[in-house]
Parts: sequence; structure tokens; C-alpha cells
Amino acid sequence: MVLGNDAAWLAQLRKGSVEHCVLALLRHGERYGFDLARTLAEDGGLIGSEGTIYPLLARLRRNGLVATTWRESVEGPPRRYYRLTEAGEAALSAFIQQWQLFRDAVDAILEEDSSP
Amino acid sequence: MKTREPADRLVDRYLSDLDHALRALPSSRRRQIVEEISDHIAQGRAASGIDDEASVRALLDRVGDLETIAEEAGAIPDRPRRSDAFVSWLLLLGGFLFVVGWFVGVFLLWSSDTWRLREKLLGTLVLPGGLLGVAALGVVPSSVSVCSGTSTSSPHCVSHGFSLPFPVGIGLLFVLLVAPMVTAVHLERMRGRP
Repeated sequence: MVLGNDAAWLAQLRKGSVEHCVLALLRHGERYGFDLARTLAEDGGLIGSEGTIYPLLARLRRNGLVATTWRESVEGPPRRYYRLTEAGEAALSAFIQQWQLFRDAVDAILEEDSSP
Repeated sequence: MKTREPADRLVDRYLSDLDHALRALPSSRRRQIVEEISDHIAQGRAASGIDDEASVRALLDRVGDLETIAEEAGAIPDRPRRSDAFVSWLLLLGGFLFVVGWFVGVFLLWSSDTWRLREKLLGTLVLPGGLLGVAALGVVPSSVSVCSGTSTSSPHCVSHGFSLPFPVGIGLLFVLLVAPMVTAVHLERMRGRP
């Protein structure tokens, strides 16, 4: 990674956290792909484009962190709903813990730097 | 509903390009991603209310460009092997390297993932032995003797006394000479695709 390239570090940071953000979105219950894609693309642009959510969801599923169910929808054809598995919940709690440590560490350094 | 048709065609093209962009993936994974994105587009079209060409174009923009999706899917094809560069040459001319050259070409062709099944079949069957195979078919009278020295068998080859009317012979010779060359050029071009 080249320092000074504004986009590069942000892209790395997004890439490293987006999977766990998907897990976090499923914390309160199952959601379908379209809904997840719109939420992630709109809120702060965590994913580059809506389509990239599907390979990501497929990966989470292969790793056993999410599971899917087909469910009838009121409007239109049945949809594939995603929900957290136990492994997914465990991965999410670990992430939340690590994220707080990481965030505190960065904040501490930033604050130290601004008041020598 | 005059605007519906071009919009449908845009979606079809997008999905088939997506399928191609994901070709490095195992087919079940590829199919699942294409299916889900197809559903996503259908839901987006149903949700937007307007279903003209411009709104579908905007929707596909939001779904994203194919390279980004393929990259997220880990579908970036491996760096091609260095030996890929020799394959079409070996298939075409390898027969003259003590015949073994052609077999090496076939082995390299089938063991590489640069080419798809259809292209591998084409490279092997048009024509076995490459240009040596053409010579061995006995169409060129002066090389009839080569025939018995190769593993390539053909009805033309067995009957030594057999001869075709001149124009037919020339036509056949031309086709037989051109076919392996066209195949070699085709394999070279496919090697260069992204």
C-alpha cells in the first residue's frame, strides 16, 4: 500500500470490514440479498456496487457463517433469505471486540499526536 | 410497452457478459451468482416503477461493472502458463518434430486452463498431426510415402492407388491446409482474451 494514495487505505479498510458488516446487518433477523445490497451501497458506500454483495454472501455461506432459506414473498417470486449461523454469530462477536480495540488504539494515537 | 424490449435485451447482455466474466469459477458457484444478480435486477426493475431503457441502464450501473464483481468472486483467471505460447505452433508444425512434437502440443493444450473444452476438441481434431497430418492423408501425391510412417490412419491413406479428380483434389488440399492454420490462429486469439 502506498501512503499518500487516499483511496487505497480506505479500500483496504472497507474490504477488511465489509463481511462483518454484513454479519452485523443480519444480527436482528434474516434479510434478503436485494435489501442487503441496497443498504450497504447506500450507507456510506461499504460496497463498491450492489452486485458485489452476491459473491461476498456466497463466500460467507461457503464458510458457514450464514445460511439461506427460500421464502415466498408478497410481491413477486420467492426470495433467498440470509440468516446468521452460530459460527456467524461467534465471528461477529469476535469482530466487535477486536474492532473496538482497534478503534481505541487508532483514536489514542491520533489524540496523542494532536496534544503533544 | 414499446420501451420494454430493448431494456430486456440490455439485461440479457449484462447477464451473459457476467457469466463469461465469472468463467474461472466452478460452474455451480458461477450459476448461483448469476442467478442472484438476475433476481436482484428483476427486483430492482419491479421496485423502480419506471421500466424504460434509461432506468434499466441506471440500475445496471448500480449493480456494477463486471470486473469488480468477478474480482470480488475471486474469478480472476490464473496467469497463463508460459508454455501456452507454443501450443498452436506445436499443433500445427510439431508433427515434423518426429511426430512427438504434435503430441506434446496436445498434452499442453489439454493441461492448460486457458482454453475451453470446445477449443481443446477443435485443436485436437482439426487436424490430428497438424500439417504433417495433411501430408499423411496422401492428398499430396509426393508425400504418399510419409503416410505409412505416421500413426495417423485414414481411408485415403490405405488405398495407395486412390486418386481424386484434379479440381476436387486441389480443393480438398486447400481446405486441409487451411483448416489447421485457421484452428491455430483461433487458439492464438483465444489465448489473448482477457
